[in-house]
Amino acid sequence: MRQRERQLGALYALPLGLFLGLTFLAPILLVALFSIMPEKVFELTHMPDFSAYRVVLAQGYWKSVAWSLFLAALATAILLVVCWPLAYAMAKVFKRFTLVLTIGVVMTLFVSENIRLFGWVLTLMKGGLIEGYFRHWTGIGFDAPLYNVPVIVFGLVYVYLPFMLFPLAQGISMVPDDARQAAFDLGATRWQILREIELPLAMPGIMVGSLLTFVLAAGAMAESKLLGGRAVITIADEVQTAFTYGQNWPLGSALAMVLIAIIGSLAIWAISKADLDAMMGRKS
Amino acid sequence: MTISRRSFTLGMGALGAAPLLRPGLARAARTDELNILCWEGYNTDDVLGPFRDLNPGATVRAESGTSDPDMINKLRAGEVKVWDLINLNQPWARGMLYPEGLIKPLDKERFMPFFEKMTPEYGSPPYPLAFAEDGELIGMPQRYGPFSFVVNTDKISRATAEEQGWKLFLDPAMAGRYGILTYDNWNLIHMCLTADLNPFKPLDEAGFAAFGDVAAQIFAGSKLMSDDLVAMNTALINGEIDAYFTGGTYTASPARLDGLTNIRGITPASGPIDGKGGVVWAELTSLVNNPDPSPLAPDFLEFVQQPEICKAVGFAEGTYNPVAQMGDPEVFAQWDEDELDAIQWDTLEEESANSVEYDSVADYDKLMEIYTSARRG
Repeated sequence: MRQRERQLGALYALPLGLFLGLTFLAPILLVALFSIMPEKVFELTHMPDFSAYRVVLAQGYWKSVAWSLFLAALATAILLVVCWPLAYAMAKVFKRFTLVLTIGVVMTLFVSENIRLFGWVLTLMKGGLIEGYFRHWTGIGFDAPLYNVPVIVFGLVYVYLPFMLFPLAQGISMVPDDARQAAFDLGATRWQILREIELPLAMPGIMVGSLLTFVLAAGAMAESKLLGGRAVITIADEVQTAFTYGQNWPLGSALAMVLIAIIGSLAIWAISKADLDAMMGRKS
Repeated sequence: MTISRRSFTLGMGALGAAPLLRPGLARAARTDELNILCWEGYNTDDVLGPFRDLNPGATVRAESGTSDPDMINKLRAGEVKVWDLINLNQPWARGMLYPEGLIKPLDKERFMPFFEKMTPEYGSPPYPLAFAEDGELIGMPQRYGPFSFVVNTDKISRATAEEQGWKLFLDPAMAGRYGILTYDNWNLIHMCLTADLNPFKPLDEAGFAAFGDVAAQIFAGSKLMSDDLVAMNTALINGEIDAYFTGGTYTASPARLDGLTNIRGITPASGPIDGKGGVVWAELTSLVNNPDPSPLAPDFLEFVQQPEICKAVGFAEGTYNPVAQMGDPEVFAQWDEDELDAIQWDTLEEESANSVEYDSVADYDKLMEIYTSARRG
C-alpha cells in the first residue's frame, strides 16, 4: 500500500515536474550548451570546443565578476544593518502600523525598477531636485553625487530593500519573546541577547534575505548603468554586450554560466545551512 | 456514394492531418497580417494608422528595437517566421542579414523609381549601399544623418569642435568634461577615427595598439557612460558635461527641437579616411525572408514613400532625422523652419560631404575585444 502511494505520488507529480523541467531547466541547459560552442556561432550543431571559457579567463572578465560580487556583498551587508531595526519593529513593535509599512514598501515594487532609478537620477543630477533647489536658494552649486561607485551601492540598497526586509521580519517574528525575557531575567546584556538569542533564532530569515538580495544584486546592471554612468561594468552588462554588440552568443553564455556557477554554489551552500522547515513555521 | 460512419471519420482524420503534411496549403497567404521590426518611428500611429485605414481587416503590428544587434538576434532566434519587414542600419543588412539569408531582395522594377525623387546623395546614383554585392536591391533607404559627436556650443564653439575634430577628446583639458554614448559599434568606429585609423579596412598590430591606447584614454577621461541619449543630452544641458563622444543629428535633435539649439551634432572638418573624419548612417528597410511572407510588406514599403508618411517617419516621437525622400519638393514642404533647424538642415549637406558612409567594421571582433577590455578598466 505504501509503495503504491509513493508511485501514485510520483505519477501525480510528473506533469508539474515535466513543466518545471522544461521552463526552468531547458533555458539554462540551452545557455550551457551554447557556452561550449566555438565562438561566434548561432547554432548548436557545431563541435564543442570550450573556447568561450578560454576567452573569459584570458580577457580579464574576472574584474567584472569581482566587481559584481563585491557590490552585491556590500549591498547585502548594508541592507542587513539597515533593515534589522525596521524588521524588528515590524515584527515586534509596530502592530497595525506594520501593515501600512508593508503596503508602502510593496507599492514601490509596482513601479518598474528603471523608472524608480530614473527618478533618483532626476533627484540627484546637477540642476535636479536637490542641487537645483539648493542653488536656487543659496546661489551655491555642487557636483552631482552620480556616476561613481557609492551611488551604485546606494541604488542596489534602494532597489533590493524589500527582498531583505520581509524575510528578516519573518525571521525575527520567530524569536520567542519568552526566550528574550528569560535571558534578561538571567542577567544577559542587550548585546548578549542580540548575539546569543536573537541572531541565531532569526538566522533562517537572515539567510533567506541575504541570499535573495545577494543573488539579485550580483546579476544587476541597471543601477550601474543609470546611476553609476557605467563607472563599473558589471558582469550582467558584459553578458548583454556579448549577446548584442559582440554578436558572440557562446561568450555571453559562458559568462552567464560562470555567474550561475558561482551564485548557484553559494545558494546551495546557504540553503543547506538554513532550516527552511523552521522558517516556514513547521516543526520537524 | 454512401457515407459510412467509418469512411466519414477516416475522411475527417485525413482532413485534419492534411495541414501537418502540407503546411503551405493549410496556411492561407498572410494577406491579413503584417509584422514590422523597426527603429522607433515606423511603429507610431501616424505611420501605422493610415496604413491600417488602407487595409481594413489586416492586423498591422510594429515593434521598436533598442539596438540593431538586438533586432538581428530576434531573427537569428527563429523569428524570421514572425516578421515581414526589418528596419535597421545598412551595414548590418549588407554585412550579416543578407549573406545569412535572413532578408531577401526587393523587386527592382517596383522600387527603383523611388530613388529618382531622393536627395542627390541617395538618388543619383541610387544609394550604392542599398545593394548587395551581387547587385540585388536589399532595402529601401529613408532616414539618415551624420553621426560623430555632440557639443554644447556655449562651452565649445562649433568652429573649434570641427577644427579639432576627434582630437578634442584626447585633450587633457577635456578630461572629466565629456560623456560617452555607449553605442558600442559606433564607439569602435569613432575611436578608430580618433586614432587616425580607418575602421573599415583591416588593421595591423600597430593599428590595434593605437586603438587600444585611444580607447583607454577616452574611457579614462569620460565622466559618464550611458547608452541612453536622453541621459547624455540632459547631462549636456545641465552642464555636467560639455560634449559627448558618439552622437549626431539623431541624438541632438530632440534637445534642439525643444529650443536648446546650443546642443549641436558636430562633423569633424578633416580626418583619416581620404581627409574625412565624420560618419553618416542610413537605415534600410528590408523584406524579412519569412517562409510564409505577407504581401502587405512590399505595399508598406511603397506606402512609406508618400510625403506625409515620410514626415511622420522622420519626425517620430523621440528623435528627429532627415529622410532621403526630402529631395522631392513635396516631401520637403512638410518640414517647418524650427524642424529644419532641429535636424541641422543648414549644414547637413556640408556635414554629409565631410563624412564617410557607415560601413561594416573590418576587424569588428578584435576591436570589440580591445574595447570591452579597455572599458572594464
